[in-house]
This record gives sequence, C-alpha cells and structure tokens, in this order.
Amino acid sequence: MTIRIDRRKFLMGSSALVAAGAAGVMPSWAQASSLRLTFWGGQARADRTYGVTDLYTKAKGTAVEGEFLAWNDYWPKLATQTAGGNAPDVIQMDYRYIVEYAKRNAIAPLDEFVGGALKLDGFDADQLEGGKVDGKLYGISLGANSVATLVNVAAFEEAGVEVPTNAWTYDDLMAIGEAFKAANIRGGMKAFMDGSYSEPMLDNWLRQRGKALYTADGKLGFEEADAVEWYQLWAKLREAGVCVSAEDQALDTGPLETTMVVLGKAAMMPSNSNQLVAFQAIVQDKLGMVGYPRIAPGVGGGHYRKPSMFFSVGGSSANKEAAADFLNFFISDPEAAKILGVERGIPCIEATRAVVAPTLDEQSQIALNFVSNLGDLLGPLPPPPPAAAGEVDSSLIRTLGQEVGFGAKTPEQAGAELVTGANDILSRA
Amino acid sequence: MTARSLESGASARERAVTPSLWSRIWHNDVPGYLFLLPWLVGFLGLTIGPMVTSLYLSFTDFDLLTAPDWVGADNYIRMFTNDPKFWASMRVTMFFVVFSVPLKLAFALAVAMLLNRGIKGLPMYRALFYLPSLLGASVAIAILWRQIFAGDGLVNKLLLVFGIEGPSWISNPKTSLWTLIILSIWQFGSPMIIFLAGLRQIPSDMYEAASLDGASKWRQFVKITLPLLTPVVFFNAIIQTIEAFKSFTPAFIISGGTGNPINSTLFYTLYLYQEAFGFFRMGYASALAWVLLALVGIFTAFSFLTSKYWVHYDE
Repeated sequence: MTIRIDRRKFLMGSSALVAAGAAGVMPSWAQASSLRLTFWGGQARADRTYGVTDLYTKAKGTAVEGEFLAWNDYWPKLATQTAGGNAPDVIQMDYRYIVEYAKRNAIAPLDEFVGGALKLDGFDADQLEGGKVDGKLYGISLGANSVATLVNVAAFEEAGVEVPTNAWTYDDLMAIGEAFKAANIRGGMKAFMDGSYSEPMLDNWLRQRGKALYTADGKLGFEEADAVEWYQLWAKLREAGVCVSAEDQALDTGPLETTMVVLGKAAMMPSNSNQLVAFQAIVQDKLGMVGYPRIAPGVGGGHYRKPSMFFSVGGSSANKEAAADFLNFFISDPEAAKILGVERGIPCIEATRAVVAPTLDEQSQIALNFVSNLGDLLGPLPPPPPAAAGEVDSSLIRTLGQEVGFGAKTPEQAGAELVTGANDILSRA
Repeated sequence: MTARSLESGASARERAVTPSLWSRIWHNDVPGYLFLLPWLVGFLGLTIGPMVTSLYLSFTDFDLLTAPDWVGADNYIRMFTNDPKFWASMRVTMFFVVFSVPLKLAFALAVAMLLNRGIKGLPMYRALFYLPSLLGASVAIAILWRQIFAGDGLVNKLLLVFGIEGPSWISNPKTSLWTLIILSIWQFGSPMIIFLAGLRQIPSDMYEAASLDGASKWRQFVKITLPLLTPVVFFNAIIQTIEAFKSFTPAFIISGGTGNPINSTLFYTLYLYQEAFGFFRMGYASALAWVLLALVGIFTAFSFLTSKYWVHYDE
C-alpha cells in the first residue's frame, strides 16, 4: 500500500502542525520547562554541578541544561551570547565582571525574589554585600574563599624543610628557598613560582603596605615607588634561586595543568583556597595551604574573604523566577550542598555549612579551616576592580614580570611602566 | 540547450513564437541562479554581510554589551600613533612572514626535486609528505609542538645525547617564534605538491641538451629548472604569504592565547583576537582586521607588479 499526499493534504497537515505547536509548545516554554545554565571550571566542578541539576530536575521537574568552559573561553562566549540576546538564564559571574554586567542590564536584579523564591535567611552579610551593585542584589555568592599559598607538602618532607605557618614572611620565603636549594630535590625544584606575575600577590603585598591595586573610584591605588620595590623584591628572589627561572615560569600559560606546582618546578605558588580541591585532583603529592607571606612579622590585613563566584540571572531571561528558584535550591538544599562540598568556596549559609562540614574529605577540610581561621591576615573586602583590570593584568602585570625575569627591563623601568601603562589603560576604558 | 531552442525558434518559425524577455529570463537565468543560490546565500549572509558590518564597526567604539558608538577614524589614528602593541605584533608577524615563507618554499622545492627523480612508491611518499599540511593547523599538533620544544621535551632529549643542554625553546623569547616558523616549514606539503606538478612540466630534452653541452647539475638547476618554474614559485609565494599573514592557531595554542613570552609570539591576528574577545573592543579589532586586509592586498599587488621582471611565462 502506498500513501500519497497531495498538495492540499500536505498544506492541511502542516498548518495543523503549526497550530499544535502554537497551542501546545509555546505555553510550556513560558512555564520554563527548562533552564539554561553556564559556568566556568573544570571537569570536577562540572560533575558536582550536574549532580545538583539532576537532583533539581527530579525534585521540581524543570530540566537544567548546563554548559561549562575554561575561564579564558568563558568570557568571550558569554559576551557574544549577551550581545546576541541569547544569554543563558543562570550565569556564573565573577567579582571582576559583576559591575560591568549589572550596569548594562545584562544580569537582572534579584531583590524582587528575595523572601519569595529566594530565601536568604542566615546568609553571611559580607557575602550578600559582595553581590550588590548600587544597592541592588545582582549575584548570589556561591561560596567564600581567600587567596592562599598552595604547598606541596610531600616535597617539603622530601627536602626536610618545615612547612610554613600563616605567620611566615617574605624573609622566611628567602630562607626556605635557600633550604630547598641545598636539599636539591627532583632535579632542582625551587621553593616558589615567580610571584611577580601574580596580580593577587601584588594586591596582597600592597594591602599590607596600606595601599591597594585599585581605589574605590577605579584609579590606581599605588605609586611607582611601590611597583619598583615589588620588582626588586622578586629580582632578588630570582637571583637567589628561590623562585623558578623566567624560562620555566613562561611555560605557565594559564590552565591549572601548566602551573609551576603541577609541573613540579616549584613547591609553592599563589592560588585560591577553593582551588585546593581542583589541584589535588591532578597532583599526586599531598597538597596543603597557608596564607601569602607577610611583608614583616605581625603585619596582616592583606587577605580578604571574597565571594569566589556568583550565580546571576540573565537580564533577558524569560524565566527569572524559575531561575531564582533554582538558585535557592543550589545554595540551600542539603543534598545539593553535600554534592557541591566546598569546591566553589565555603557555603554562605550557616545551616548549609553545618550539613557540609561532616561530609568533607581531607583537602576540603583544609580549605574550610583555612578560610575560617585567617585571623589577623584578614582585611576588609576591597571594592570591585574597574572594568579594565583584566587588561592591566594580562597585558602589563604578566608581561612586565616576564621582561624583568628575562632581563629585558630593570625593576626600575618595569615599575615606571606598570604605573604609566595602567593609567593609560584605565583612562581609555 | 535552451540557447539552441531559442535560435531555432527565431529562425524557423514565425515571429510570434519568439520568447519574450521575461520568459527568456525565466528559462535561461533563473535556473542558473537557483543552482547558485545555496552558495549565494552563504556568500551574502556569511561573508559580505559580516564584512560590511565590520567595516562599519571599525569606525565605532563597540564592547558587545552596549550599542556601537560612532568615533570616526579614532581607531585607525590610535593604531598608527599611539599603540606600541600594534607595532610589536606587526613586527612579529613580519618576521614570521619574511622567514617562514622563503624557508618553507625552499624546503618544499627541495623535497619536490627529490621526489621527481622517479623513485619507487612515489604516491605513497607524496601522501606521506603531504600529511603534515593536513594536520598542521590543528590544535593537536600545536599541543604536540609544545611538548616537543619544552625544556624537557623531545628536542632537548635528542640534544642531550650529543651532550648539549638546550633551552626551553617555546618559553624563551629568543627562540619561541622560531619554533612556530619551524612548525610552518614542516607544513610544506601543498606547495611541494604544486612544485612537483610544475617540475613534471619541464621537458626532459632541455636537460639532455644541457648535459651534452657539459652544464653541471647546479647550472641546469639555475638556468633551466628555476626560470621555467617561476610561475609556480610565484603562485606558491603569494598563497603562502597570505597564509602566513593569517596564521593564528599555532601561536594561540602554544602561548595559551597570551602571545608570550614577552609578546614574542604575539601575532597580529592574536593581538586582534585579544582586543576583540579578551578586552571586548570589537570596534578597534575590526579596524585591525581592515588594516590587515589592506596590508595583504598591498603585498599581493606589489608581487604582481614586480612579477613581470622575474616570472617567465612560456609563450
């Protein structure tokens, strides 16, 4: 038997299909049968996140379509999607970008959902504050973290050197470096990576001197003399063989896999407390963490508890309320909390922390304790950095560190150039 | 076929049957355009459209999130008067073009001449030597290159056999660009195939006559092979120069998109990418793209103008 469809029947059939689509499919879109979620991170974070989205779909019936990218690829894609009016409903947001996105309505204020879909009772006040722009709530912090020095504990044991405590200073770093040189383990492993490249480390060092990388109105918060001294400090450490050579350091192009501790070139490097989990996943040796070195014994105030990242809701999202409901589930559901652990930072709700604490593995426990016991290292939360901070970091701080390292510039030249170059970029943006 | 029926209609039959203009268009032109349509849609929508848009954007300040803001020629003025990174990236790209293109062509010609001696299994060798060209622009090869030229990579392990301790080639600003040039030379496959075809065109009686006259191999190469091959050299040089100007992937992967160490691998295209997708200055990046287009155009035009002095066409 053959079925023949003539033109009239075909037309009738297809218009019926369109009608069915209009009647059936359209309203279900409006009810948000699915949400789109985007975040940066590695596989470990994706596994945990998708664990929670599955849980959410089971509980609420709303499907969540997730997508993740590495940090460097994430921002171009998000900006392109936003420009095309196609941004996801739930967007992982960083402290560096939240002001820019909020001011352009690329993310939506969430105040109208607070108390309704979004219950924030018992949410840490400083973390809530960190997600506000001009008094309105644009991001829900997914965890608190702090900068921290990542330590290869096994390498320290092998070299017979004692792991430093939060009391340690840059002078101690020098001494540890000498001890590592004397021990000469693993083909001449150095004590530290070349920290002159590290924007957070420079920021921390400046804060201990009572200055800052940026002021509240987006200007440079330090002078040429500070910058020169910074490059001199690292030139001294480099010459003494305390930190890795410029040639080794240049192998680090960003991803976790190319960093000095993972490559086995250095026993320590600056990092973030929540990243201990991610690093331990790709390093065999046992890792630990301490604070950044102090500029002198007893000087604190360089560190701060920073919202490690936020979830925001897309400004053009048609499902803002559903997205807020998902956010609420993500930060407060006990089962979700157990899956997420402290991989995105220390949970911001007391009740969630209580659920998470007993389930943590050793590394997560270290991270939790580190952030909870910063003591006098802790200073106030700085204002969000200006929009051009990313460019200052990638095209000045990194490059100038390299130029001094390779001997192409003196610390004095680099210090002067950092200040003039940064002022130029900040005034242009 | 339609042309023939039209002819017979006009000659054999009465005038009334002569197809009107409209029906001629319908029968002659429309089918042609219909066949062309898929390509045409792509060309207008995906090539011309974005190009015109980017020309407009190059006169604006556009950060993707807010509407473009007309700034006139500011982007172009800044580029030439107040942007050291523009010149730095220009230097890197020029260095790359000037060294990679001639070396690649020389290498390709050398291999083509070896293969032209009529060895056994030529198709296999040809395919084998062409393989790097197929793989060269891929991400996997760029990552492999990183491994080969790293401090503890393959190259240094080989050197160590001879007692030489090599530097970390990819992370040393003095050598990093050379690793990319070597990568480019290694992809000699497509010019080599074209050279091989060109060599086959040279009549062998010329060589016979030359060797009877006692000309050395080198003299034969300089006096016969090269002059007769110049059209092929010319073609290869133009194509490879354009390719070299556009080169992006290897530098992007090997330096992690940074162009480091010390901007030594900051290709022009990489700088353009950073401005566009790193710092969200789409207007400035569009202006950079148009300057690159103009530059490649000038180079190509210059090559064509000088070609009459050194390219010998068989006439």
